[in-house]
Amino acid sequence: MNAPVYLDYAATTPVDPRVAAVMADCLTIQGAFGNAGSGHSFGDQASGVIETARAQVAAAVGAVPAEVVFTSGATEANNLSIFGVANYYRSQGRHLVTVRTEHKAVLDPCRELERRGWQVSYLAPRPDGSVAPAQVAAALRADTVLVCVMHVNNEIGVIQDVAAIAAVCAGHGGARLHVDAAQSAGKCAPDFAAFGCDLMSLSAHKVYGPKGVGALLVSQRRGVHLEALQYGGGQERGLRPGTLPTHQVAGMGAAFELARHAAAAEGARAALLRQRLWRGLSALGGVLRNGAEDNSVPQILNASFADVEGESLLAAVRPHIAVSAGAACMSAAQQPSYVLRSLGRDDRLAESSLRFSLGRFTEERDIDCAVAAVAQAVTRLRKLGGA
Amino acid sequence: MNYSNLTRRYFEGAEALAGVLTGPGTFRGNAGSRAQGTWVQFDLRVDAGGARTIQAARFLAYACPHIIAAAAWLAEAAVGRSAGAAPWMSAQGLRERFAIPVEKLGRLLIVEDAWNAAVKACMGSTAG
Repeated sequence: MNAPVYLDYAATTPVDPRVAAVMADCLTIQGAFGNAGSGHSFGDQASGVIETARAQVAAAVGAVPAEVVFTSGATEANNLSIFGVANYYRSQGRHLVTVRTEHKAVLDPCRELERRGWQVSYLAPRPDGSVAPAQVAAALRADTVLVCVMHVNNEIGVIQDVAAIAAVCAGHGGARLHVDAAQSAGKCAPDFAAFGCDLMSLSAHKVYGPKGVGALLVSQRRGVHLEALQYGGGQERGLRPGTLPTHQVAGMGAAFELARHAAAAEGARAALLRQRLWRGLSALGGVLRNGAEDNSVPQILNASFADVEGESLLAAVRPHIAVSAGAACMSAAQQPSYVLRSLGRDDRLAESSLRFSLGRFTEERDIDCAVAAVAQAVTRLRKLGGA
Repeated sequence: MNYSNLTRRYFEGAEALAGVLTGPGTFRGNAGSRAQGTWVQFDLRVDAGGARTIQAARFLAYACPHIIAAAAWLAEAAVGRSAGAAPWMSAQGLRERFAIPVEKLGRLLIVEDAWNAAVKACMGSTAG
């Protein structure tokens, strides 16, 4: 049996072979294996690799190198941003604003802050998944110290107008804006400076880099401050101490460098593939698209299939395609996607949703395979269900 | 979710046992609802004699793979049995046979309820 077609690039991407080669060069005695903090030539070599990577990441997202703080990934970056701002500015206020469709790596820290006595306003997105800047403006209070809005939603691909939201926050004066851009790089060219936000989280493994490395961008221009969550060593300006994993950081830099040059062409190609996918799926009838079509990254398509039970749908397509159920009915606990529920989908439709995420290595025949597999599964399950 | 081999086999082959039965000597029972996430229906065709021997059974299900597999197995295993005989299956028995997580026992009770409703319709009839 053939391996299933991989259409889950929003969950993670394979490391690009060119990135893997860069990483391999940092591991052995012949390469830049040294500790970047060491004062000898091996340390200098590793430090040079890291600074190159820092510049590559910065160039890909409209930041300056000094604004890049390497972390273990976007989850750590989100935690550092949220708790770091909360701890530093707690004397100014204890209120945050975020959106119900944020990733758990933002929502869970917010809930932890609530347990610690903070207040959090959770904005409901519009049915197309977007949040109006006016909603953010209305939620701001005199004691608001942080607003967290993701750039590209991981389940539905919808792009938020973070530049407009940043302007709202700037007008408030005391509210910093943190943007989770884990899904953005390589898909829609996030621009830290142009957005005007204070903090931005990045991930390497969503953009053909390795797992285990990411970054938090901390705006120098806007003068935002963070309180460190860890201590020891002083690396990364004291915000993220610990010996930097040269190979991981180098891999992230190479991945972002590739993405910077390839994003436009890959986006155009993905748009055609997604169009082909949607055309095939929608022909089944009873298929509802989740999220705004004209305001989403071309690599993600999320659809709900009426009259089909979610867990059975996923089980039926699983031998043929690797997709996510959008956090749908994956377990006996049967938890529908909170993102889709926030858009107004009922539990049944939220459960019977599939997220198709396309990537650098997706081909037309993969799309055709996916359409065939889903069509067969949906038709069969509807028949079994008497629909 | 991991499924037992038996679950996979009956889930993948469920179409052969799915459908509806019509005509004389056929009886129907169902339970659950799509809105709640699980709905199961059984149709039984029984002979006209007093034993009410099941000649054919079919099912429909809007449900997870475990429930579809269990319903398909029931529809297959019921043929040749007397509808009025002592209960020969239970939700717990199905759970053990298909290695279904205990959290799904509530859904298995819907299978049991649908089956019992079909048998009740059959046994309550006066003519085959």
